[in-house]
Amino acid sequence: MKDVLEQLEAKRSAARLGGGAARIEAQHAKGKLTARERIEMLLDEGSFEEWDMFVEHRCTDFGMQDKKIPGDGVVTGHGTINGRLVYLFSKDFTVFGGSLSETHAQKIVKIQKAAIQNGAPIIGIFDAGGARIQEGVASLGGYADIFLQNTLASGVVPQISMIMGPCAGGDVYSPAITDFIFMVKDTSYMYVTGPDVVKTVTNETVTHEELGGASIHAKKSGVADGAFENDLEALVQIRRLIDFLPLSNRETPPKRPSYDNADRQEPSLDTLVPSNPNKPYDIKELIEKVADEGDFFEIAPDYGANIVTGFGRLDGQPVGFVANQPMSLAGVLDIDASRKAGRFVRFCDAFNIPVVTFVDVPGFLPGTKQEYGGLIKHGAKLLFAYAEATVPKLTVITRKAYGGAYDVMSSKHLRGDVNYAWPTAEIAVMGAKGAAEIIHRKDLGDEEKMAAHTKEYEDRFANPFVAAGRGYIDDVIMPHNTRKRLISALRTLKNKKAENPWKKHDNIPL
Amino acid sequence: MFKKILIANRGEIAVRVIKTCQRLGIATVAVYSEADADSLAVEMADEAVFIGPPAPGESYLVLDKILDAIKQTGADAVHPGFGFLSENAAFPKALEEIGVAWIGPNVNAIDAMGDKIRSKQLAAKAGVSTIPGADGEINDADTALAAAKAIGYPVMLKASAGGGGKGMRIARSDAEVKEGFKAARNEAKSSFGDDRILIEKFIEEPRHIEIQVLGDKHGNVVHLNERECSVQRRNQKVLEEAPSPFLDKKTRAAMGEQAVSLSKAVDYDSAGTVEFIVDKDKNFYFLEMNTRLQVEHPVTELTTHLDLVEQMIRVAAGEALGFKQSEVPLDGWAVEARLYAEDPYRGFLPSIGRLKHFLEPAEGKLGEGQLRIDSGVREGDEISLFYDPMIAKVIGYGKTREIAIDTLAEALDRLHVDGLQSNAPFLSAVLDEQDFRSGRIHTGYIPEHFPEGFHGTAPREDQLIAMSCAAAYVHEINIRRGGRIEGRIRPEEDITSRDWVIFLDKRRIPVEIEMTAEGEATIWSPSLKADKITLTTQWHPGQHLFQATIDGQEIALVFADRTEGYVMRHRGFTATAIVCTPRSAELHVRLPEKEKPDMAKLVVSPMPGLVVTVEVEEGQEVKTGEPLIIVEAMKMENVLRAETDGTIKSVKVEAGNSVAADELMIEFE
Repeated sequence: MKDVLEQLEAKRSAARLGGGAARIEAQHAKGKLTARERIEMLLDEGSFEEWDMFVEHRCTDFGMQDKKIPGDGVVTGHGTINGRLVYLFSKDFTVFGGSLSETHAQKIVKIQKAAIQNGAPIIGIFDAGGARIQEGVASLGGYADIFLQNTLASGVVPQISMIMGPCAGGDVYSPAITDFIFMVKDTSYMYVTGPDVVKTVTNETVTHEELGGASIHAKKSGVADGAFENDLEALVQIRRLIDFLPLSNRETPPKRPSYDNADRQEPSLDTLVPSNPNKPYDIKELIEKVADEGDFFEIAPDYGANIVTGFGRLDGQPVGFVANQPMSLAGVLDIDASRKAGRFVRFCDAFNIPVVTFVDVPGFLPGTKQEYGGLIKHGAKLLFAYAEATVPKLTVITRKAYGGAYDVMSSKHLRGDVNYAWPTAEIAVMGAKGAAEIIHRKDLGDEEKMAAHTKEYEDRFANPFVAAGRGYIDDVIMPHNTRKRLISALRTLKNKKAENPWKKHDNIPL
Repeated sequence: MFKKILIANRGEIAVRVIKTCQRLGIATVAVYSEADADSLAVEMADEAVFIGPPAPGESYLVLDKILDAIKQTGADAVHPGFGFLSENAAFPKALEEIGVAWIGPNVNAIDAMGDKIRSKQLAAKAGVSTIPGADGEINDADTALAAAKAIGYPVMLKASAGGGGKGMRIARSDAEVKEGFKAARNEAKSSFGDDRILIEKFIEEPRHIEIQVLGDKHGNVVHLNERECSVQRRNQKVLEEAPSPFLDKKTRAAMGEQAVSLSKAVDYDSAGTVEFIVDKDKNFYFLEMNTRLQVEHPVTELTTHLDLVEQMIRVAAGEALGFKQSEVPLDGWAVEARLYAEDPYRGFLPSIGRLKHFLEPAEGKLGEGQLRIDSGVREGDEISLFYDPMIAKVIGYGKTREIAIDTLAEALDRLHVDGLQSNAPFLSAVLDEQDFRSGRIHTGYIPEHFPEGFHGTAPREDQLIAMSCAAAYVHEINIRRGGRIEGRIRPEEDITSRDWVIFLDKRRIPVEIEMTAEGEATIWSPSLKADKITLTTQWHPGQHLFQATIDGQEIALVFADRTEGYVMRHRGFTATAIVCTPRSAELHVRLPEKEKPDMAKLVVSPMPGLVVTVEVEEGQEVKTGEPLIIVEAMKMENVLRAETDGTIKSVKVEAGNSVAADELMIEFE
């Protein structure tokens, strides 16, 4: 009997070695941790329970029947992060380069299904060479099975993808469907087709890094929501992110005791908005001074920087912050910003995370580049996201709220629950100068008259009181009280219940 | 006494004057430019008058605007502060015409001392020692030799038309004079087209020591001892103290006497400063007299228990000095540091902008000494390029020089400035440096001790221990709080003691920490030979200052929790701590050490701003000094130039882009 028990342990030891000591060494030499080391660093110590450790592929072509390694290139299972359940899979580059076989796919699908059923996030760690070519169509089928589960899980449980090595071809579409993608600088890249194919088809010469490195996806394409220095930093930060999120759409986001005072005032916010209306300021200062302990987990900091998105807490309660950033392109809404914020608002709505919006927006970005790129439809995504969201929506207008962009940014008209404005707010169809030029076209040549008209428009609309007079703004608040007032508003929305009409699903302007 | 005083200044000194007026029950008027509309001075003053755009030339320096403000508010006296119009004789003249009192010296004194040549002549006449030198030009080597012998070695030969060190020779012997004369003359001729040569005494390792004087309108003048301001960077005073660690009673008395005698010669009737340079043998030579309050006046105030602004107001109002020379105390020691918005790690480039965070320690008792802070800003204020980028003056006072220095250093450790970079780490580094500590300073102190600029100090053992303990404690608090989240399916582990491995920059430091009570922990670290250290603290997440008692010693670290780790500063030493479990530490060391990009090949934006023009394109070859890119910040254009010859590899920005501080703009091959 003892022999049999010992056999189990021996089998496990063998499986844990994956592709063997030499390949592990090679993985480390590349500056990467192994699949199991990553899991170990991501989860609470000793909490990982592995599934399907003994699964092997069933391929008999090209001599594959002689090459079998238990686990088949992916480590799957569940564990906890700060005691809370997560499911995960971690591609093992040391086993067949992490390539995807039919059985490898089945392992992933198994944990995806369990996560959906049991209501817990799915974290996928990618470091693999794509399809297992030897298996042909079976591998392709496996991919599609995973994509289907990714899609079904979307909006049910949070899905996070960590790109920690190569991720190419079929492998990219699973992360693409998930809620967040994070990459590791210098050691990860993702693209649909690699540099060799690019060279053949388009004759472009491009490196892995230039085609799909972290710097490209976190800054240019917006595919990635962040990039970290190394594997350890990335995994530690994902633990931090998970702490903001509910395990599924059936839960509210987890509260955590705060060391911060709910009534904390910030006198310095009274001078945040400069007296010169064209001078920028850093809206992140407002977020950091309002959030508990200044703790803010920013999503996609380097992409569409004219809008800031991310998670923080108010009196222990996680919220999503969305804020126009005057420091970048004057905080204008363009295609990138609308897509980025629209997706973020929808994530928050799907997972019952209240949305706090800080508005300082001069409008939508004009120009052929934007119009040809489809700004109308992309801008509408953010509008749609705010309009359909039923989570608590809190809005503070700090300065400009001009034109259509005013409507879009969580306005009262889109069911904003509590809409505040600072005394510095200007809610108008457009800037005073432009408005005066349209209303008083006949006086265009007369500088003096135009100045008077501009001043008249300014006096009328460059304040929050016209909007407040109509009830579009619930109250005008002192900047230094922003945290206090938001927390108190959030408390009133604890039992908010709002529903949209029944539909199979909506038809957001994709 | 005056009813209402207008302060024709801004910032810290305006606030300083207002404070004294408030104590004396005198109403105050502030004047302010557009940039200062929300300033502390404006808030504190009883009235405030707007005087125009931010540029001083359009506001604080425009006499008519100040005069309008005086008429508008009915102020009966004006305090000019320092800088701006404080030494402009036209100001008191104009005030006289409208019958408003000038809180400063009489016009003749300002005029006489404002002229360099006249002031030297007056000084010599008043029996003040000036730098020995040969009058007129020296035309041949023999005359030079005779002059040198009369002056005494070492001497300096310099081009009459000179400047910038060209045509300058130091000679310590007859032979060197002969040789140096020829060389200096040739150089003078080729550099300036003018071969006239002057000769004067060369002062080695000179100290800058100045005497504070105070006179009234009744012919009384006293001196209030000296201040030493030898620690300077590019002629800018960095640290100032009273008394000087170098002077003895006899020299102090002699210098004081001469300063008083010069003051009397011009009927000096306010607070003023007579500046001297002092050589190794305590010989002192007159430099110039400043006819105003000095920035560094607080060190005199602390050691004489006088309020100089009050004294200036009283004598301006016609009161006689209320004390005699023999009643002027010299009690204790005071050291002042000028906290500037500048980046010591980047050649002291101005680092202007919004004070996102500004935390200053409380005035009063700190350690064994007393702390005074003269600041004119609050969190959320802007340090603008239009004015002197001084954030505050921090002054430590105590019975001894050591206590004063320690108090000042402790205060700088409790100063948190964010949003811009301050010179606090550099100031702290000087305060910790041995030569400074023992008073071995001279005007070349900074170039001598920081020849390569400032790059942070090397850590002391106790700093490593403090930072390791702080990192371990902070991490425990974070881990424990993280565990108290809703929705756990595994019970929280009940562990009192844990092992951590701290990577403090590149140092690997294993520690064991036991959380013994609320705000209390015991820490062991074999590699630091730290055995059973007790730490007590009130720190909690969100605070930017980690104040604790570690092993019986009170210590404060400026602290930030960032993605890359816990960033901490103590004195001139800054480090980032990554706290790992023993297992993750094993993996940490396997991660590749990323090479920092070669900054010499990168041109980054020194401050947030707007790209005005890009002067180069990819592939272009540039020579040292050629303009690369112009960045506008705060309406000022900053031209960034090539630091070496090279070829442009890539240009990352274009005109019209806004750039963040440190943003990469141009890359060299």
